[in-house]
Amino acid sequence: MTQNTPPFSSLRLTQNFGETLGVKKVLTTVPVGRPSKDRFFRTHTSESWVFPTWILENKATGETYLVSAEVASALDDQVRAVELYAAIDRQNNPFLIPIPLPGPNGVRNRWHESLAQAVEKAKSVWIRISANKDLGGYDIFEATAKLPGPVWPDITMDELLEVAFKGRVITSLDHPIVQERLGGI
Amino acid sequence: MNQLSDFTDGVFLIDFEFRPENGREGNTPEPVCLVVKDFLSGVTSRYWKDDIHSRSSAPFSVGRAALCVAYFASAEMDCFLKLGWQLPENVLDLYVEFRRLTNGTTPPNGAGLLGALLYFGLPTIAAQHKDAMRDLTLRGGPWSEQEQIGLLDYCETDVVALELLLPAMLPTLDLPRALMRGRYMKAVSHMHTTGTPIDTQMQLEIATYWEQIQDALIEEIDASYGVFEGRTFKTKNWADYLQKEGIAWPRLATGRLELTDDTFKQMARIHPKVAPIRELRSALSEMRLSNITVGDDGRNRCLLSPFASKTGRNQPSNSKFIFGPSVWLRGLIKPSEGYCLVYIDYSQQEFGIAAALSGDEKMMEAYQSGDPYLAFAIQAGAVPQGATKQSHKAEREQFKACVLAVQYGMGEISLAQRINQPVARARQLLNLHRQTYRTFWAWSDATQDEAILNGKLWTTFGWEIRVSGQVNARSLRNFPMQGNGAEMLRIACIFLTEAGIRVCAPVHDALLIELPLDGLEEGLAKAQALMRQASSAVLGDFELGSDAKIVCYPDRYMDERGQVMWDTVMSLIQKIKGQ
Repeated sequence: MTQNTPPFSSLRLTQNFGETLGVKKVLTTVPVGRPSKDRFFRTHTSESWVFPTWILENKATGETYLVSAEVASALDDQVRAVELYAAIDRQNNPFLIPIPLPGPNGVRNRWHESLAQAVEKAKSVWIRISANKDLGGYDIFEATAKLPGPVWPDITMDELLEVAFKGRVITSLDHPIVQERLGGI
Repeated sequence: MNQLSDFTDGVFLIDFEFRPENGREGNTPEPVCLVVKDFLSGVTSRYWKDDIHSRSSAPFSVGRAALCVAYFASAEMDCFLKLGWQLPENVLDLYVEFRRLTNGTTPPNGAGLLGALLYFGLPTIAAQHKDAMRDLTLRGGPWSEQEQIGLLDYCETDVVALELLLPAMLPTLDLPRALMRGRYMKAVSHMHTTGTPIDTQMQLEIATYWEQIQDALIEEIDASYGVFEGRTFKTKNWADYLQKEGIAWPRLATGRLELTDDTFKQMARIHPKVAPIRELRSALSEMRLSNITVGDDGRNRCLLSPFASKTGRNQPSNSKFIFGPSVWLRGLIKPSEGYCLVYIDYSQQEFGIAAALSGDEKMMEAYQSGDPYLAFAIQAGAVPQGATKQSHKAEREQFKACVLAVQYGMGEISLAQRINQPVARARQLLNLHRQTYRTFWAWSDATQDEAILNGKLWTTFGWEIRVSGQVNARSLRNFPMQGNGAEMLRIACIFLTEAGIRVCAPVHDALLIELPLDGLEEGLAKAQALMRQASSAVLGDFELGSDAKIVCYPDRYMDERGQVMWDTVMSLIQKIKGQ
């Protein structure tokens, strides 16, 4: 370097593109349901990312509704008491897995039991699940590769629930879905 | 030096008129006249040929407290070197700065001096007069007294243009970095002067027999295809061949066959039997041997056209530059007696730049492993720790193709074709890249956001690109790698030429240098150390390594991709000569 020229380092500009723009990904969709058989996923390790609630499933439309306690008691066996577990796939897409709670006798059916085991397993390793009708439960496949851990979005469980059930929270018996289920118009 | 008033010894606006020595392109310049104007005092000095050739130094201050201003300064610096004058310490090239100012846009009248003047609404001389004076210079001497005055007057008009342009551009200048770019223009002149040694005897031999070689090549290779008629590649015949062989060939939207060299290249990977015809087409279409400009001393010299591309890279003429045409012609490059040529290129430069500038630690770790492709496969969990290039060759190849696909902005379909695997595998590989190098991808996304929201991107030393109209997201994302790669090579050129190393030419992310056989090792070590320093200057203390390929006299340089073609041509020459 010649004597009078400043060292290059003093002229170096940063490449921190976007830092001042504050652009961040907005979560717009959070599916609710079991992951497909080819989707590896992890579940959150924190208890605060598990939400016990009632859900109402509309099999025809594939929609899942969050239901308040008052409405749930009116709908009786049409709703399910579940725990919603926050999960995330390898592409960083979060979703919620509902696991039905044990029945009044404290026992879960085998499908639900094996799903609960899978969700527990997914707290520490990447897994995918596949229904095994012969056994009446899910087979769990663990990724053998040493994969990096999940990167959770910078939001709370409440915010995740808000996106997942946007427009699909039932808190009143007047809700059209409830009326339909109760035989009203 | 942040403003003009800092240059207490003067700000000198200069312009040379010159022609190639003996009027031969490829030779160094023969300066004809020089006009210098002191911007601050307003004094103009005119120097005719004899006057400048008799001087041992420039007739104005070139020291640290002076600034030399020119338009396309490498031409002026070429004249300095020819005259044996010490180069100015500080060079401000208004061409380079105009390119920077308008990069990514299309200035209505181009990036020449007239275009820059018109851009700022300044008066210009007639282009016709400019052409006439240029012709008069190129004609060569002797020049009559009237012609001498005419040329000096014309030379002065360019200096007057600089006098108008400098204040107009001043508010747009980032002077400290502009001087850095000016410093590169001095390095360019050193490279122009050094040039690349060519085996002119072999060049002449190939040129002499070229027509017969072409016919023999077609006869030999096309025998299995039947697509040429005379020396013309017939599309219909090619379509017939493809149908006969059952090869599905990419087509244009119009339904016509896609016949670009890139398509042939891609398809040759999938169907190796089309490779020879691709080689033949490439050899025939790119063979413009006589256009390669070689000087009386047997050295290829051409305008390196610095800062001509959007990324700031050099853009020398494809036909004049020995590295422009088909790769087999690089076999013409041959070191002089007692010398070696060394081709030094940065190892996985784009990967290293992406790693360092994005701050992705995993990517940096992969680069520093020495084999980023294998490291990526290990990090992604596709191969076990301890895997080697030998134990997991196939996997490494796929992960290498994936890394390159990301760099080129390839989609899953192109990658699948490249690795000859199902699209699902290509998709999986691309997903693994995103999952493994999350920090890099977040930075890449932010780069695109920055370009679109703020309308420009920049390199670490301030080369800028403006973004408007139709946006090509792929090239925007790639700009930091390409633009900073260009910065790195420019700084390497500065470091090497200032250290007295003879740099023949820059070749994308590589340099061809010339070292005496005696002291080769020390020279190479010094050059590679300087290249590491250059990478560190750009990447903030993250160093990139380099690979060196050495060719010593009497061997010739050879690009391995062109070896087969070179050998074929050589054997054909022998055959023709024997007939």
